[in-house]
Formats: sequence, C-alpha cells, structure tokens
Amino acid sequence: MEAFLLFLLVIVLLLIGVPIAVALGLSSVAFLLAYSDASLASIAQTLFAAFDGHYTLLAIPFFILASAFMSTGGVAQRIIRFAIACVGHFQGGLAIAGVFACMLFAALSGSSPATVVAIGTIVIAGMRQVGYTKEFAAGVICNAGTLGILIPPSIVMVVYAAAVDVSVGRMFLAGVIPGLLAGLMLMIGIYIAAKIKHLPAQPWAGFKEIFQSARDASWGLFLIVIILGGIYGGVFTPTEAAAVAAVYAFFIANFVYRDMGPFSREGSGRNLVMIPWLALTTLWHPDTRKTLLEAGKLTIMLMFIIANALILKHVLTEEQIPQSIAAAMLDAGFGPVMFLVIVNVILLIGGQFMEPSGLIVIVAPLVFPIAIELGIDPIHLGIIMVVNMEIGMITPPVGLNLFVTSGVAQMPMMSVVRAALPWLGILFIFLIMVTYIPELSTLIPNALMGPEIITR
Amino acid sequence: MQALGRAVNQIEETLIAAILGLMTVITFANVIARQVFADNILWALEATVFLFAWLVLLGVSYCVKITAHLGVDVVVSAVNPRVRRVLTLISVVCCLAFSLLLLVGGWNYWWKFATTASFLEVNDIPMPDFLQFLADSMNEGEAYEKIPRFIPYFVLPLSMALLTFRFLQAAWRVLQGRQEMLIASHEAEELIEEASAQGAAGREG
Repeated sequence: MEAFLLFLLVIVLLLIGVPIAVALGLSSVAFLLAYSDASLASIAQTLFAAFDGHYTLLAIPFFILASAFMSTGGVAQRIIRFAIACVGHFQGGLAIAGVFACMLFAALSGSSPATVVAIGTIVIAGMRQVGYTKEFAAGVICNAGTLGILIPPSIVMVVYAAAVDVSVGRMFLAGVIPGLLAGLMLMIGIYIAAKIKHLPAQPWAGFKEIFQSARDASWGLFLIVIILGGIYGGVFTPTEAAAVAAVYAFFIANFVYRDMGPFSREGSGRNLVMIPWLALTTLWHPDTRKTLLEAGKLTIMLMFIIANALILKHVLTEEQIPQSIAAAMLDAGFGPVMFLVIVNVILLIGGQFMEPSGLIVIVAPLVFPIAIELGIDPIHLGIIMVVNMEIGMITPPVGLNLFVTSGVAQMPMMSVVRAALPWLGILFIFLIMVTYIPELSTLIPNALMGPEIITR
Repeated sequence: MQALGRAVNQIEETLIAAILGLMTVITFANVIARQVFADNILWALEATVFLFAWLVLLGVSYCVKITAHLGVDVVVSAVNPRVRRVLTLISVVCCLAFSLLLLVGGWNYWWKFATTASFLEVNDIPMPDFLQFLADSMNEGEAYEKIPRFIPYFVLPLSMALLTFRFLQAAWRVLQGRQEMLIASHEAEELIEEASAQGAAGREG
C-alpha cells in the first residue's frame, strides 16, 4: 500500500513538470521521513554512495566522453561511406546502408539519440536526394538508431550491471548476437519493402572503394576492439576501458581525422617547429573544452537521475518491497513465461514515460529476485530490459529517438511516429524472440566467460 | 551584474570540463602505470570517484540554470499558459523542498565529519602538504597522513546550497513570467542544433 503511494507520488510529480531526478528523490525522501526513522543525513549519505559505492557507474562519463569525441561529423561520414560501399548496391541499398551505419556507430557510442543524430543528419538527406520519401528515411533511421543501446558499449547496460551487480563484460558480450540479429532483421525488412516499392539501388562501388573506405573508417572502428578486447583480454576493467576509449577518441579526432582542435584548420601544422606546441595546445583548445563540457553536462543529467533512482531503490529494498512482490507473484502461480510477459508490459509502459537509465535502476531490483527464483538468467533478463528500452525510445509520448528524428528530418512528431510504426513491428517480433530464446543472449558470454554462477 | 554572471558561467563551465578531463587523465595514467611500468597509482580510483561525485553534484545546479534537466512535458505543454504557470510554480516548490531537505541532510552528515569525526581519513589519497595547516584546527595539531573525510564530503552541503539558490532563481523567473518550464522539453533540440552546426562547418571546410 505504502509502495503504491510512493509510485503514485513519483508519477504525479513527473506529470506536473518536476525534473525526473527530483521527482524520484523527493518521493523517496518524503517516504523515508513518513514511514521510517531514517535521518536526513543518512539520505545524503545514500546520495553520495551513488558515486563512491558503485565503481561500475564510473564507466558512464568516460563512455559519454568517448562518444562525444567520436560524434564529430567526420567519423559518421567515414562510417556511412564504408556502409554504402558494402551494401549500397542492393535494392533499397541506401536504407540498408543506413541501418548498417547505425550498427557500426552503435559500436562506438553507448547511446541511441547520439546514433540517430550522427547518422541520421547525413543519411536522411542523402536518401531523399535519390528518391526515397522523407517518411521512409526517417522511419528506418529512427528504428535503427535504437541499436545504440543494444550493441556494446552501452550506457544502459552499464546501469543495469550496476543496479543488480552483474558483470558489465558479460552484458556487453550478451548484446552482440541480439544486436547483429536486430540489425539483420531490419535490413531484411527493408529489402522486402524495397522489392515491393521498387526502391532505387546504388551502383556497385567495387572492392577498391570498400577497401579504401574501410581503411579510412578503421581508425574510428578500432575503438570497439580496444573496449571489448581490453575487457575480455583482462587488460583492464570496463571503467578503465572506457577511459582508454575516451583518450583514444581524443587522439583520433584531433590528430588522425583532424575534425577538431588546432589541426582542423587549413594550412595548420605546415610549420614543423610549431607541431609539438600545437599538439600540446589540443589539451586546452576551445574545441576540447567544448566537447568536455558537453559530455560533462550529459553525465551530470544522467547521473543525477541515476543517483536519485538509487535512493528510491534503497527505499524499496529497505521496505522489502521486491520480496513481497516476488512472494505475491509466486503465490499466484506465475511461471517464467507469464512472468516475462509481465516484465515486458511493465517496461513497455514505463519506457514511454521515463528515461531508460532511471527506469532500469528502479525496475531491475524489483524483478531481479523473482527472475532468480524462477531460474531466469540475470544476463538474459538484462538484454530483455535493454530491448524494451529500445522500443520505449520510439513510442510516444516520451520517445527520445522520436524527438531527435523529428528534429533531424524536420518533420512533425506525429508523422515520425507514423513513419516509425511499420518498423516497430519488426522490433516487437525481435523482442519476443529475445524473450523466449535465452540462448541468443547467453551463448557468447557463457562460451567465453564460463557459465554464470548465481548466488542467492 | 552581467559581467559577474558571465564570470560565474565561465567558472562553472571550466570546472565541469576540467574535472571530467582530470578524471579521464587519472584513470588513463593508472592503466599506463600498471600495464607499462608494472606499477600502480594507489589513490587513482578513489580520487576519480570523489571527482565524479564533485562533477555531478556541483554540475546539477549549473544544469538547473541552463534548464537542461529532463522531464515529462506531455501535460505541461498541453495545458493553457495560466495552468502551466501554476503547475510550474508547484514544481518549483517541490524542487525547493527537495534541495532544502538534502541541504539539511548534507550539512548534518558533513558536520559529523567536520567535528566529532574530523580524525577520520579516506582510504588512499595522501594529504598534500599545502593542506596540512588544517591539522592544527581540525585534528589537534596531529598531521594527517591521508585526506580527512570532511574534505570530499563538503560537496554535499555546498552543492545542495547552490542547487537551492538556482531553484530560487528559477522560481523568481517563473513568477516574473520569464520562464515557462523547469525541464528541457528535450535534450534533442540542442543535439540537433549542434549537429547542424557541425554539418554546416563540415561543408564549409
């Protein structure tokens, strides 16, 4: 009953326009003051513990920073060139290349909206030029962009791993097959649509172009090798991998691609004597400061939501709410199949109103104990949650990808919603597959890292 | 007054960029130390964690200033301006309640470490000499080996005081009719502006 009041308060606060973080935090504080003898000081301690108690979350600012350095126009352009060279000659090739480019960019960035902006700004304009409708282009990119949180690295996966204490490395590996599968399903869907609608194909660019564009894009794509290779090779922890990725992205953007910093201007760096000095100035160059500030702002917004969601999680566990829900569900005789249906419904509804990371921090601890009771693999549960969050991003009223796409394609929100709808069907089929075929998620992590050991 | 505002803005933005940069450099340096020199920067992890807390907690008030916090705007943007104003004023009051409660909590928590428990030190970060003067007043003259805990924890009352101040400013702007909502309708808009700016720059270059 009290728990119900707590959630009601959160929802009311959200609807009257209170920032998500404050709505979560204030509700928890009010609940603690009313129903327990917790002191305000202990709540402040919980807030601080969001940072010094969860080392996993430390990976988030670094992944955001790496993605910010990689989001400079040039990297996306090189990825798109490579994608078009590879699959552009199929019917509907530019759309298929758009999906492929989103998948590649997702491997550099842990966020969906960032993927839509980076790839969408270039590809949607390009598709319209060769005769695709605006709706088709926007719908495809809006959906493909959601792969940003499914293909590692992924900020949402880091948050899930921190919320229920599973390994980030396992989560990243678990995202590989589903990520490739979802991309492939979208591509097949586009190919079929292209056959029916007689959509144009690009000329075959030849192996030379594939080779050249691959070499050009490889500097950026090497980032994912550093991250995954570093984690599974045991060279560094996920947090360190993220920091190394950020430093690598900084070097690539400044010195290799020269999209930013002192070398981005024509004619700079001709004077050999000046090069070391110019190289040093990248550290405090306005472009670097701006990128750090943008990444910092995103980190602050996201982590403030997560920190307050952690206070709420603290309240829930303190009041033994997950256990009582688990008991109620087990008494009602729900099996794994029914349970997963319920989890999907909760997440789909919640995902339409909440920011994905905050929702995961709250819902994951609620359903996790039940899942363990029912013998569901925690990694599998995590992937189900991530896929639900993907769908939440392209369903109104609060679909982050819808907003971004409507801006990028310069279309009203409602037209984007309609444009995204047919492809949403593919993601729904994909969600059902991921939910009831656990091997899709667990195959690679179990093969590479051994079976998960669940401690109750 | 405007000059002061610009100066404060510069300080806030530089601080956010600098802390994030410092966190990255420290973590990277630790990896290099371990992999290349088979050494270990013992205090790296703890320092990064404290910087992380400082970055986010101090940055929260800056994000209120630039109205960057995410929220649900379905209802607020659907109702007429007068109702919206009332709803936003209620929201501001809620936000102020939140920041004041946590200000009291943060102060109480910090006060314990600044007075009765001022001898408690962090786990790894050594005490720099230029801060050693604190030992005279806080630790009865006995030198600190590591940083005392009241230093990192000071961010709690500090950040919540700043947050309260920024919410008061927001409340004032709403009362004057200069601000309609507390939440960014969406971070998307800014992302797009940036992308189109970059696109334009790319075409020129």
